[in-house]
Amino acid sequence: MLKVANTVRFVAKKGNNVRALATAAAYKQALVNVPPTQLTVLDNGIRVASEDSGAATATVGLWIDAGSRYENSKNNGVAHFLEHMAFKGTSKRSQTDLELLVENMGAHLNAYTSREQTVFYAKCLANDIPAAVEILADIIQNSSLAEPEIERERGVILREMQDVESNLQEVVFDHLHATAFQGTPLGQTILGPTKNIKKISKSDLQQYIKTHYQPSRIVLSGAGGITHGKLVDLASKHLGGLKNTATDVELLPCRYTGSEIRVRDDSMPLAHVAIAVEGAGWTDADNIPLMVANTLIGAWDRSQGGAANNASYLARAASCENLCHSFQSFNTCYKDTGLWGIYFVAEPMQIEDMVYNIQKEWMKLCTSVTEGEVDRAKNLLKTNMLLQLDGTTPVCEDIGRQILCYNRRIPLHELDARIDSVSVQNIRDVCYKFLFDRCPVVAAVGPTEALPDYTRIRAGMYWLRA
Amino acid sequence: MSHVSDMKVLFSRLCSIKNGLPTFKYGSRSFSQNIDRPPQPLPKQSVSPLPPLSEPMQNLPPVLYASSKSENYVTEVTVLENGLRVASEKKFGQFCTAGDSRGLEAVTQVLAEVTLRPQLSTEEIESARQAVAFELETLSMRPEQETILMDMIHSAAYKGNTLGLPKICPTENVYNIDRGIILNYLKNHYTPDRMVVAAVGVDHEPFVEYVQKYFVDMKPAWQHEDSAIFTPLTDKSIAQYTGGIEQEECEIPLYPGSDLPELSHVVIGLESCSHGDPDFVATCVLNMMMGGGGSFSAGGPGKGMYTRLYTNVLNRYHWMFNATAYNHAYGDTGLFCVHSAAPPARLHDTALVIARELANMAGNVGETELRRAKTQLQSMLLMNLEARPVVFEDVGRQVLATGKRKSPSFFIKEIEKVTADDIIRVARRMLSKKPAVAARGKLAHLPSFEDIQANMSLNKSDASPQGRRLNLFRV
Repeated sequence: MLKVANTVRFVAKKGNNVRALATAAAYKQALVNVPPTQLTVLDNGIRVASEDSGAATATVGLWIDAGSRYENSKNNGVAHFLEHMAFKGTSKRSQTDLELLVENMGAHLNAYTSREQTVFYAKCLANDIPAAVEILADIIQNSSLAEPEIERERGVILREMQDVESNLQEVVFDHLHATAFQGTPLGQTILGPTKNIKKISKSDLQQYIKTHYQPSRIVLSGAGGITHGKLVDLASKHLGGLKNTATDVELLPCRYTGSEIRVRDDSMPLAHVAIAVEGAGWTDADNIPLMVANTLIGAWDRSQGGAANNASYLARAASCENLCHSFQSFNTCYKDTGLWGIYFVAEPMQIEDMVYNIQKEWMKLCTSVTEGEVDRAKNLLKTNMLLQLDGTTPVCEDIGRQILCYNRRIPLHELDARIDSVSVQNIRDVCYKFLFDRCPVVAAVGPTEALPDYTRIRAGMYWLRA
Repeated sequence: MSHVSDMKVLFSRLCSIKNGLPTFKYGSRSFSQNIDRPPQPLPKQSVSPLPPLSEPMQNLPPVLYASSKSENYVTEVTVLENGLRVASEKKFGQFCTAGDSRGLEAVTQVLAEVTLRPQLSTEEIESARQAVAFELETLSMRPEQETILMDMIHSAAYKGNTLGLPKICPTENVYNIDRGIILNYLKNHYTPDRMVVAAVGVDHEPFVEYVQKYFVDMKPAWQHEDSAIFTPLTDKSIAQYTGGIEQEECEIPLYPGSDLPELSHVVIGLESCSHGDPDFVATCVLNMMMGGGGSFSAGGPGKGMYTRLYTNVLNRYHWMFNATAYNHAYGDTGLFCVHSAAPPARLHDTALVIARELANMAGNVGETELRRAKTQLQSMLLMNLEARPVVFEDVGRQVLATGKRKSPSFFIKEIEKVTADDIIRVARRMLSKKPAVAARGKLAHLPSFEDIQANMSLNKSDASPQGRRLNLFRV
């Protein structure tokens, strides 16, 4: 099952190939050119949001304000375990019945767990929306959580853990969280430690559902050939019976600690390194300038040509001086905090020069970034954000996440206006606040001997020049 | 005075003379004693002069949203005087992002420049060589084998001709390909009759006008005086299916940091049909019916858990890691294949299980499985067409291949018409020819080509599949 380790990374994948060729006028016209998002709140607090594009297919899903952040060291991994149990049958239908029902409709059922959100969604033909909503409502309310299935699923999750461990980017990001948010729930992994996976019990799962699957924390989101009124009717029919039982769960702040983890393994050919600072929470107005700053640093890998003409200085340096195999700038947000930084893969002897260049670019953002650079990054960011909304699933995902994070969906023309309003001074102010003279977090796996000491990396976070 | 306080004085003197920057004092790093309070908390207020993202911005201009309508859009095709085809579709007009004519003109111009008038400078060619060399290096370091295997199965199926030529650049050619070779290739292949300029979400007339301006009126970089009498030298030969085996004994990189075992891969292919063939849609349904995937893969129900390669193969033989069916359709032929992966010691059983499952295609077709495969193919078609790049590519490819674009609803109806007899006919047609086999990894246990072929012969398919399966480990 899919696991999204980092809620959303606003990374311009191959972003440097995409140029905003459209003019400003065309863009404005296009922005009003999407159907509106409608939002209805049911009596029990469930929020139903949808965008009707009239397509022949649709995606509907349940976005739940629950994830590994709401766990403690004892039950870490429960949210993810539940995601696995979702398709193992309910009191209404067996696992085989559920699977055959979905397969025969030509639909897809999927789920993922992140640190703050649990998501179940179905992609189907527009005519099958009623069945899809019924199935989703069934699996979150009546999951049978039978003991034999729980036992079997432990093995599957442990196997999934191997898969995660073979993805070094995931490993580095888990380490990055573990050190940045040490001692807090955000530092925990989504899968949880092996010992928890081996002993999570039926009652742990039930307790978690009881505490966290509260209607006031659930969003039913839909996109594609969906009529909002019909979706609201389906929601009241299948989810209207849910009651808020528990008292509100308190969101504890997660303390950020500038620190580092190095897992040195000289048998690996390449070092995988992430360096970040504490970023902004979802709703923080500084998030938009941070995303522009992110785009300014950009992303690059060795298979991309056009080295000397790349808009990102770091990409230019990386390719001309052969500093790394790839890098990606990222901005991961949580409710009240975040991580803003860069992930790169480099040969052992390149690491030090790469880190030097990264920090040089970061300091330039704080002090001397120019108007031309910022304007280009703004255009690129707009293009990338629009390009992401292609297809019913990405749109549904965007709606669900935004309703959970902002309690509304930011209209595209507002997003556009917010990006437009980012000035050079704004970028410098925001970068000065989040980057300049801040303690970074560093996570590195592989042949890391040449990665500068923490004190030296810390010293690269300011410039003594006027 | 201690050494430390000495240094403090020195630092404060050095740093206090800075203008405008905060004073850097020695020891300004405060080490927190209180774990609940970070030593250097971020200021609470945001420094951007806007409300938080959870609150709307004030003074925005009024908005007019598009309404949803599912219209059937037509693909308009114009053939210019030199044979260049221009295809566009208005679909996504209401969602389109580059609808303004100035944007469209700029995009058309850029496309024309890069395809017809590239500079191909020494530096550009050098950086392209590096990029290709890097891709080859990455390919050889990664545990994923699909790309290499697809090249190998094509080379086994069409030995030494057309589709059998490698798509992955051979290492020895990376530094041999130069400006002259590239220009010669472009001159012979980037000819108007072999090109389609496609667009989705634009008006047809202005688009045709820009294409005329940048693709026809402005000449390609390689066009000279004598071009009027130039006849392109292109290989117009039709793909010759040969069948046969292609194998490479090698170490396959392991997934770093995981204890997944080493795997060997085998692909068995059969000649299917071109995308213009009347059996094309039935072949696609058969592909869906075979389905398959990884024994441990992401996603819940809907990934084809009840397809034959799951129910008959992966669910029965737990040592198999992957079994997936693919159908590659081309203008003059097609290649239907099943890729499988298992630990090297199981390679013998793996190859024979797959061979028999392919032979089994000519056997019975259940009503439920056929219905399911048809629905899944229909929904897959519609779901793929949600994304703009896919629609656009579909327009381009169809117009290039057939000169027009058939609508999705046409294919939906065609899929609906497929019967069990069609499936069996298609399968028999494929099985009547020699198979193609590609294998990579530790191959000590790979059965001989003749063994594989013997397990796929049509005559044997009368024997009950169960009976044959019992013999599996005694072969």
